[in-house]
Amino acid sequence: MSLISQMLSKSKTSFPIVPRQSIAGRTLAFLVAIMTFLSCVTFGAVYLVQNSTMAWSSEVGRELTIQLQPVEEEKMLSDIRTAISLAQQSGGVARAFELTIQDSAELLSPWLGEKFDISAFQLPRLVVVQLADPAKFDLEALKSKLASAIPDASVDTHALWQQQLNAMAGTVVLSGGLALILILTATVLAIVFATGGAMATNREIVDVLHFIGAGDRYIAGAFQERFLAIGMQGGFFGGAMSIVFFFVASTITSAILPAQSATQVELLFGQFTLGWLGLLGLVLVVVTIAVLTAITSRITVHRFLAQIAP
Amino acid sequence: MIKFKNVGLHYGAGPEILKNLNFNIDPGSFHFLTGPSGSGKTSLLRLLLLSIRPTVGEMKMFGKSTSDLGKSELMQMRQHIGIVFQEYRLLEHLTTFQNVALPLVVRGEPESAYKSNVEELLDWVGLGHQMHVRPELLSGGEKQRAAIARAVIAKPDLLLADEPTGNVDPELSERLLHLFVELNRMGTTIILASHELHLLNKFKFPRLQLQNGGINVSH
Repeated sequence: MSLISQMLSKSKTSFPIVPRQSIAGRTLAFLVAIMTFLSCVTFGAVYLVQNSTMAWSSEVGRELTIQLQPVEEEKMLSDIRTAISLAQQSGGVARAFELTIQDSAELLSPWLGEKFDISAFQLPRLVVVQLADPAKFDLEALKSKLASAIPDASVDTHALWQQQLNAMAGTVVLSGGLALILILTATVLAIVFATGGAMATNREIVDVLHFIGAGDRYIAGAFQERFLAIGMQGGFFGGAMSIVFFFVASTITSAILPAQSATQVELLFGQFTLGWLGLLGLVLVVVTIAVLTAITSRITVHRFLAQIAP
Repeated sequence: MIKFKNVGLHYGAGPEILKNLNFNIDPGSFHFLTGPSGSGKTSLLRLLLLSIRPTVGEMKMFGKSTSDLGKSELMQMRQHIGIVFQEYRLLEHLTTFQNVALPLVVRGEPESAYKSNVEELLDWVGLGHQMHVRPELLSGGEKQRAAIARAVIAKPDLLLADEPTGNVDPELSERLLHLFVELNRMGTTIILASHELHLLNKFKFPRLQLQNGGINVSH
């Protein structure tokens, strides 16, 4: 942090006209760090949820299920074979296979338990159809063939679930975006107060600089430089902490949480891996907050100097 | 150098602090500004420092009417003026050297250009050995000498001093006044405000006597 500070403070003077360390400065840096952390975590969470949803949506869109109503065993086996055959004959289909009683039992085990005897129930049987190319697949043609061969069969494309999934993803992204805007607005307001407070604290320096002939432009430059350095320090610290947060979240999910809970969390957030694009997004958030700090402090400093003008 | 013509001053809707001031200050002169507490000495110095503007009348400094000047021009003009305060007003986070160099720094001069001048001046005011300490470690007299050095380092045409001996003992007060006299001999115009008449009586300089808002110039 001190390196950044030194880089940014590299000006015409060999010594800092505005003190590097002050309570007001530390408060501003701390504030910017917290706001950057919150912004980055919000951005990262939205990014992860959106990525996971897109992955689910893509997976769901490449799969459909043929549901066969329970009938006597021999007829059921015949219906399953017919359904698989009709599906495999359709264009764009990669494979079609039966979901066995054991497969169904495994799928239901999280809710019904391992020891539950599923064979005691008359459950519909499922044929899973995986698509190689959804564009070449003709759903209506398959439905029509199934209606002729197995009148009780129905086809579930998961379209409704996909729609709900997309709607949920949209809501999460919108809410995250709104939260980000609110955090940035709060950041600007907090910077206005913190910068105003810092200027009031340093009023003596401003007065002395005026008395020795420094113009407003010079004074504003000295203070802005200091506030930008503070904003960058806080921003980098908050950004770094958010990366640590995602790393810790990933470690907890994979190493500490029970397997079933970890699966649920991973379904929503994936592996908590942001990737290069996500990290680039975090950098953009940090830069945005540093720029906001610079612009906001510039306006506040100029207002302060205008108020005390002779 | 300075011309006051019917100058008056009041703050907001308050009473008139200075009334109908008429006087001239010639270049190279030394004036004491005297008057009882509350007579307006500090207000007159603030006018001369261009920190406030007169409410009425015309004030000319360095040949220009100050009422016609914009903020940046006022700042330019202020670079010709040095100021010494009773409370020193040194920046606590800077060393003695840095405080004294400040007027040159804000004028954009590089350290290589001013270093030897600042060191020489600090030696002259007897602070050569205190160059790299912060004000908190200086005595009252040393702080005031540092403040004087800061006020004159940029070679101002006019030096204003507001009760510069107010916080130091009588012996040091006299030595400080001799320092101002030396600066005046070098060509700096000086206006020094003080209420310590016993000290001022030791020096034969004209006086600007403020009383009831008006001014009386005595030679």
